[in-house]
Amino acid sequence: MSLSVALTKGRLEKSTVNMLETCGYGIEKLRNKGRALVFPDTKKDIEYFLVKANDCITYVEHGVADIGVVGKDTLLEGGKDYYEMLDLKIGVCKFIVASLPEIDLMNKVGHITIGTKYPNVARRYFNDKSMDVEIIKIDGSVELSPILGLCDGIVDIMETGTTLKENGLVVLDDVCPISARVIVNKASFKLKRKEVMQFIDDLEGVVNHAQ
Amino acid sequence: MKQIQIPLGMKDTILEECRTKRMLQANIEKVFASYGYSEIITPSIEFYSTYQNAFNEINEQDMYQFFDQDGQILALRMDMTVPIARVCASKFSNSEPPFRFRYCSNVYKVRQMFAGKRGEVTDCGVELIGLDDTSDLEVLSLALDTMETFGIQDYQLEIGNSDFFKKACEHVCLDASQQLVLADLIDRKSMVELREYLEPLALEPSQRAFFQALPLLGGDASCLQKAKELSFTEPLKKVVEKLQQLYNQLCRLGYEKHITFDLGKVPHLNYYTGIIFEGFVAGCGHSVLSGGRYDHLLETFGRDLPACGFSVKVDYLIDVIHAPAEKKIRICYPAGKEVEALQRAKDLRKQGNVILQPWEKPEVEVFL
Repeated sequence: MSLSVALTKGRLEKSTVNMLETCGYGIEKLRNKGRALVFPDTKKDIEYFLVKANDCITYVEHGVADIGVVGKDTLLEGGKDYYEMLDLKIGVCKFIVASLPEIDLMNKVGHITIGTKYPNVARRYFNDKSMDVEIIKIDGSVELSPILGLCDGIVDIMETGTTLKENGLVVLDDVCPISARVIVNKASFKLKRKEVMQFIDDLEGVVNHAQ
Repeated sequence: MKQIQIPLGMKDTILEECRTKRMLQANIEKVFASYGYSEIITPSIEFYSTYQNAFNEINEQDMYQFFDQDGQILALRMDMTVPIARVCASKFSNSEPPFRFRYCSNVYKVRQMFAGKRGEVTDCGVELIGLDDTSDLEVLSLALDTMETFGIQDYQLEIGNSDFFKKACEHVCLDASQQLVLADLIDRKSMVELREYLEPLALEPSQRAFFQALPLLGGDASCLQKAKELSFTEPLKKVVEKLQQLYNQLCRLGYEKHITFDLGKVPHLNYYTGIIFEGFVAGCGHSVLSGGRYDHLLETFGRDLPACGFSVKVDYLIDVIHAPAEKKIRICYPAGKEVEALQRAKDLRKQGNVILQPWEKPEVEVFL
């Protein structure tokens, strides 16, 4: 049976496609995209499509895609109705808590506000720390919010830490590591078990080899 | 402003969808009835405390809640199993078990996100109350016969047993909260986090291998042999042997090609006590049937009876099944000949469904 695979556009796209190529999959069409939205594999019975990270989960949960490749950051923020079967160990970064150095965020007495693109991740983290904080959802340039005085601190993704440093923010704590994961629709796993496991095993081989 | 929206998670079902839904319901109910199950209708509204009492843990935000005139918290029922357990423990408190009940009712769950999930779905199901696991075979056959009526060739009933996981946890002395975390990771086949979680636990190699293998311990019946090899205690072997026996019985009944297993199926740890199963049909991204054994639920209502049941999620099936087109006989009539048209319609209704349509021509005409 044929498989449909949703790949996340952008940051993860290139390294995911490289991994598929190493597996020996026919990904030429993913390299020369043109205006197409769906890209058939030239060697295997697989169809790829490129979607935004959040949509990747939605497509997989509804079974429109059997398999998805998406960052753990998006998984932590979204739904849970899928199998998370493999860590591709690409797109590695982490969630951190940061603030201006003069604010002693973790020991502050009184009302604390946190700016973040990831309210669920932030809420869970501070809940585990038994800290009561107000979370303000911000959609871009989260680093700006403590500088302008909107928030006491932020929860955000950090790759190299350069942006934070340039804006005078210091990392207070790591929340959790992030990397790209392979997720599978539950029903697809049952009905196309052989094909799905083949796909996972192939990628797992590449991951283990790279280590 | 025009108020034409419906609340998040709600859905109007119209035309073909509606016909398909009713057709499915009728077919399913026919199978249920043929197994001797009696229909039961309960109110859509229950006390919130009924659910609180039935489940150890309940996610408050999952339920639609409101108040009655005395300030008591009410809730739209989120399943039919709890109301039936309540009825069984009250209305049937003096009757001799076993009880066989069936239902076809709407159940409600609040959906927090815009993920296209439905807040109101129709559940068609059965509960067999008062018989222990010797009755598992009956319930599984009923589930398989029910799936057969969907008319989709490619369907699977996947069977697991929550005891397999629980007995292993008890043997290695994991506490309740550890069990819940582990069950969640295994049930979601979160291979990465599962490995990370198992690492610091004090387990023997065979035990670690057991838990790490659980999520993928499934597929056709050959996985039962592997499960037996991984079983590190006698009680675990017994669970597998029971599944093997069930499989043999189901094969003798001719269900062989529709049976698969998943020993890594451990949802709702505090609820299910034995076999758990889910039905899948080709083309549908959700399980369309789910159920299992829940021997402790009735106890929370003061009547300690074992029970097993399942329900079909009819709404998910509508996307993959299509009712045959509806034939309608059309009668066209001019002004002044309404009575003649209705007279003809009356006769024709013995043959089929008739609709009337006024037109400009002078005569009444019938289009079959």
